[in-house]
Amino acid sequence: MPLNIDWQQILLHLFNFCILALVLYFLLYKPVKKFMAKRTAYYDEQAKSAENKLKEAEALKSEYSARLTAADEEIDKRRAEALHETAEYREKRLNEAEAEAEALIEKAKRDASRERKKIIDGAGKEIADMVGAAAEKIVLGSTDAAFESFLNAADKEKDEENEE
Amino acid sequence: MRKKTLAVTAVIVCIMAALIIGIIFTAPEEEGADISDTMQDAVLHENDKVDFLGLRVNPGFISALIVSGVLIIFAICVRVFAIPRFKLKPGKFQLFIETVVSFFDNIAATNSPHRNNFLGAYIFAAGVYIFVGTLFELIGLQWMSLAGESVTLGAPLADINAAIALGFLSYFVIMSGGIAANGLRGVGRTLKDFSLPISMSFRLFGALLSGMLVTELVYHYIALSFVLPVLVAVLFTLLHALIQTYVLVMLTSLFYGEVSEPRVVKDKKSKKAAVRAKVRPTTEVH
Repeated sequence: MPLNIDWQQILLHLFNFCILALVLYFLLYKPVKKFMAKRTAYYDEQAKSAENKLKEAEALKSEYSARLTAADEEIDKRRAEALHETAEYREKRLNEAEAEAEALIEKAKRDASRERKKIIDGAGKEIADMVGAAAEKIVLGSTDAAFESFLNAADKEKDEENEE
Repeated sequence: MRKKTLAVTAVIVCIMAALIIGIIFTAPEEEGADISDTMQDAVLHENDKVDFLGLRVNPGFISALIVSGVLIIFAICVRVFAIPRFKLKPGKFQLFIETVVSFFDNIAATNSPHRNNFLGAYIFAAGVYIFVGTLFELIGLQWMSLAGESVTLGAPLADINAAIALGFLSYFVIMSGGIAANGLRGVGRTLKDFSLPISMSFRLFGALLSGMLVTELVYHYIALSFVLPVLVAVLFTLLHALIQTYVLVMLTSLFYGEVSEPRVVKDKKSKKAAVRAKVRPTTEVH
């Protein structure tokens, strides 16, 4: 053959290379690729897990922020209700107090007028008694003294009315 | 300090001068060792056949066996001692191994996206074999030829038989990808590039042989044997190792990707619509 080409040697080289290729594949290429694939899968899983955790954290954060917002709204609502109730209660108490005061005043007025009437009634009787006594005194003699005592009694009654 | 430098320089100059004188006076008389004979031997290996289990083989086959043996022992050592200790955070050696595997794997995946598992394994083996085999030339191991002379073992692929074997094997690997992906259509696609195995084989052979021939030429003359071989031999060999590995691996991957690409079935209706769309503007003008 030209150029010293020898089929036997070509086949020998092929045989040699095939053995080498098989050995390199099974001992080096495949295990290293397997290891790299395993590592890639591990890091992918880690990344996925981190991503999931991040998503969960984000969800929790948004949930808690929503809860906080709801709680703030609830607090505001409760505060407004409480203020409203307090205002109502105050108004009610004020009205009650005013009504009570009015009732008390009415009662006081009624009592005062009854007392006045009673006093006036009592004074009329006294006057009648005094008139009777004065008439008796006049009848009996001393007109001046009787008249004096009459005036004193009338002044006394007037002072008492003014004091009330 | 200056005196010391001067002394060292003087010693080096003296040693070099002594060596040159020694080389000139001890040079053997050349007995018809013509450069053309040397180069013919380097190409054809007609006079330096070696014995292998009773067979007359070129020295390149012994180189191939030694390179394969070294690679297999290395692979066994890595599999037994290194791979079970691989860590998630790789060390220097693990990084080196992973980088080499990833390099070939990425080439396969990039050039042949549809089908690349087998291709990755093949180009890994071929690439490592070509690279280490080419660097093997630097060691310059001696072997006894059948004629009883000492022969320097060169790169395995500087032997045309090894280059043909690898070129044709690459071609069959490409064809296997075509068959696996597209059946008979894949065979057709591969046979279309019928010159590929020859071009691949002779590219490998020519590239590696040229490096060896340049080295032979340089070593043939004593005057060129100083400093220059360091550049010529080491740099040429390194460059060849890298370039030839990359070229064969890339070519195999590219052709493999091309023939294993799935066939795109075009819909007849859409085809007709496309033809109509092309025709319509011209009819409208008329």
